[in-house]
Amino acid sequence: MITLEGVSKVYRTRGGRKTVLDNVNVTFESGYNFGVLGVNGAGKSTLLRLIAGSEIPDFGVIRRYARVSFPLGFGGTFHGALSGRENVAFIARIYGAGIRGVLEYVENFSELGEYLHMPVNTYSAGMRARLAFATCLALDFELYLVDEVTEVGDQRFRQKCAEAFRDRMQRSDIILVTHNIHTLRQYCDRGAILANGELTLFDDIGTALGRYQRIVQETL
Amino acid sequence: MSGIGEIRQSVIGAASIGGLEAYRFHLGRSDIPDRERAWIYCQLSEALYHQGRRDAAVECARNAFDLQPEKEEIANLCAWVFSNCGEHEAAAAAYERLLAIRPHWAAGHRHASGSFAAAGQLERAISHGKKASDLDPHSFEFAFHAACLLEVTGRPEQAAKYFIRAAALDPNDAGALRHLSAILLTLDQSEQAVALALRAVALAPADRLNTLHATELLLRSSRYDEAAAIILDVVDIHGEKDPVALRLLSATQMLRGLTQDALVAIDRALALSPQTTEYHLHRANLLHRLGRLDEAAEAFGRAAALDPSNPDPKRSQLTVYFDSGRVIEALAIGGELMRTSPDNEEYARTVLQVLHRRLEMLDTDYVVLGERPLRRTRELRPQPTIFAALQTQLRVIYALMMRETRTRLADSKLGYGWALLEPVLHILMLSLVFAVMMRGRPPIGDKFFIFYYTGIIAYHLFVHSSSSMTYAITSSGPLLQLPLVSTLDVMVARGLVEVLTDVVVATILLAGFFAVGLGLLPHDLPALSASVVAVSLFGCGIGLINAAINSFLKSWDKIWAQLTRTLYFCSGIFYVPGMMPDWIRDILAWNPILHAVDWFRSSFFSEYEPHWLDRSYLAILAAVSVAAGLCLERGLRRHLYEPL
Repeated sequence: MITLEGVSKVYRTRGGRKTVLDNVNVTFESGYNFGVLGVNGAGKSTLLRLIAGSEIPDFGVIRRYARVSFPLGFGGTFHGALSGRENVAFIARIYGAGIRGVLEYVENFSELGEYLHMPVNTYSAGMRARLAFATCLALDFELYLVDEVTEVGDQRFRQKCAEAFRDRMQRSDIILVTHNIHTLRQYCDRGAILANGELTLFDDIGTALGRYQRIVQETL
Repeated sequence: MSGIGEIRQSVIGAASIGGLEAYRFHLGRSDIPDRERAWIYCQLSEALYHQGRRDAAVECARNAFDLQPEKEEIANLCAWVFSNCGEHEAAAAAYERLLAIRPHWAAGHRHASGSFAAAGQLERAISHGKKASDLDPHSFEFAFHAACLLEVTGRPEQAAKYFIRAAALDPNDAGALRHLSAILLTLDQSEQAVALALRAVALAPADRLNTLHATELLLRSSRYDEAAAIILDVVDIHGEKDPVALRLLSATQMLRGLTQDALVAIDRALALSPQTTEYHLHRANLLHRLGRLDEAAEAFGRAAALDPSNPDPKRSQLTVYFDSGRVIEALAIGGELMRTSPDNEEYARTVLQVLHRRLEMLDTDYVVLGERPLRRTRELRPQPTIFAALQTQLRVIYALMMRETRTRLADSKLGYGWALLEPVLHILMLSLVFAVMMRGRPPIGDKFFIFYYTGIIAYHLFVHSSSSMTYAITSSGPLLQLPLVSTLDVMVARGLVEVLTDVVVATILLAGFFAVGLGLLPHDLPALSASVVAVSLFGCGIGLINAAINSFLKSWDKIWAQLTRTLYFCSGIFYVPGMMPDWIRDILAWNPILHAVDWFRSSFFSEYEPHWLDRSYLAILAAVSVAAGLCLERGLRRHLYEPL
């Protein structure tokens, strides 16, 4: 369960101030998968980083009653000069997980083979994504934050990710940001719409999608 | 022969004998005036009518009426013949003639109304009907007739007036009550309507129309059980041949929630009347309710086949297919709907929905998760305690330090070689230069290397930590994406790595000096440790402050590099402040690094105990800078790191 209490977040951009969240009070209940909808630039990724704790809200408190993952689909935490193994070990160490177990899982899942011993600099974008995905799954979080991850990688690996995810969802929840309506419908049972600093939760992803489509049509 | 009396007598006489030839004979005569001819035609017409030769009778009546329409006697007979022979328009014309002569003849108006109504001229029929009832308000039949006409033509208010008149004249006429009830319903007086309908049923319980009507009204007023009592009786009596009653029974049972019974009733109705579209639709809806989706779809299909012009059954069939997951069939129906009603927005939206579902099924990239099991609710993880948070932070700092050291090893060819080489180069260079200038004698002790070593190590402990922390945040941007890693963690880890590296390097160097026979052990190990801790803390404190400044002033790290170079000359690394004039030494004494160097140096050389050395000055500054740095980090945390 994640609660946002009076959370506000404003960005300074070149175009001026951009309000991502404006005094938002919501609860993401555990046991449900949430799909976050919003137009480009509404701040969906920022919302995920706030929930993860990578970013700090300007005002308000975010309470996490679960082990929350780092936003998945983001391979940027890897240090280019270090090998895949060293990067994974670092993340395992940070989360206090057994390094050997995590490495073993990542070796099996990522199918990177000898590349795991090579600096991450030498990886393609797809390989980085594999490494990130495998690491995130290896760490057994209770809430996964996913930012368009299923769009990365070749089809077979995507299928593998989907299956692993389905398996994991029997005990973990996800909050998912994606533009792919099918992915949303498949993974999520509840929805959230982020628009103009307001975050609205819906008990049903279908309702959320309907409402969102109306919002998009209105802005067109 | 010329007298009228004669002609008539002759005609009647001839007729009484039996043949019709007498009429023909007289009609064939040319010397008969029109009024007589008309009279004869009338007689002939009546005679023909009685013989059952209606066409001929009508023909003769027409001739008579054409010849002399204005005569009452003739018009009367013609109207009678016409209306009895189904010539309603001609009858109406004849009655109008009569009414022109006798305008207050109520029965005449009633006849005219009937004829006009039969001829399809409803407006005139109504006007005569109303006239008839108004002329004779005590006639039940006249009032009832007018009311029915008004009801049929959609004038419920006026119809109500005449029905009320009729009902008042004969309160026991169930038909009038039923009609009045129906009218009241359209006038939104449903309670009275129901009461009248029930009275009608009570008066004529065997009348099918009354009972059906009452049932319908009861259903409309949600009195389902009463409706059921009535309609079940009707079905008991007429059930085997009355599909309408069965249909009503089905509706009643459905509304009572007895869907299964409703289905039985509609099946019986369909057995009697298999071609009625509405029955099929009703049955399909019942099956849909019962969840028998395949049968429902089939039933909707039958309804659609019976009435191809109506797209609604198809629309319902599509919903059933969609609900039962038969998306391909649903899509086929959707295609038909789009073809037959291309402009219907609701259909278009429905078909779009079906297409979306179909697309999802086609999308094999993803695993369909429809069968996802419901997860059991998990225990909420409690908020971390301060102890747990501290533990996490220590773990993170440790991980960052491990990473930092590995990164250094990996980043450049030299790696840690440079950490060792840097102080060695400094010491060698200073030793060479000053060995020549000072003619082989260092300011303190007898070993150049150890003297410069004591200066360089203390200086580096400060400079390395304070400088590297300046850009610790900018250089570990991606790391900060990890939720557990905070800006403070990154800076502390960086500072600690620098300090530990310097300590290790210092130890190795000292061991190296011993190896070449130039070694010197510090005489005061606790003082050495204290000085190392103090200068490291000071370096880290300044590093925190530097990071804060650097977040506002991006070139601060370059300025800081210049400042540290200046410090190199002001901190007594390659000289002792005692060699300086007092006033210069007093100024230099403000420099905390000078105290750090002398503190460190004095722990090596027992004979070196400078009076200007103020250890507490450095210790306090270290404490203050660390405190200030931590406060700045806390206050500027959001500013220090802003991901794009």
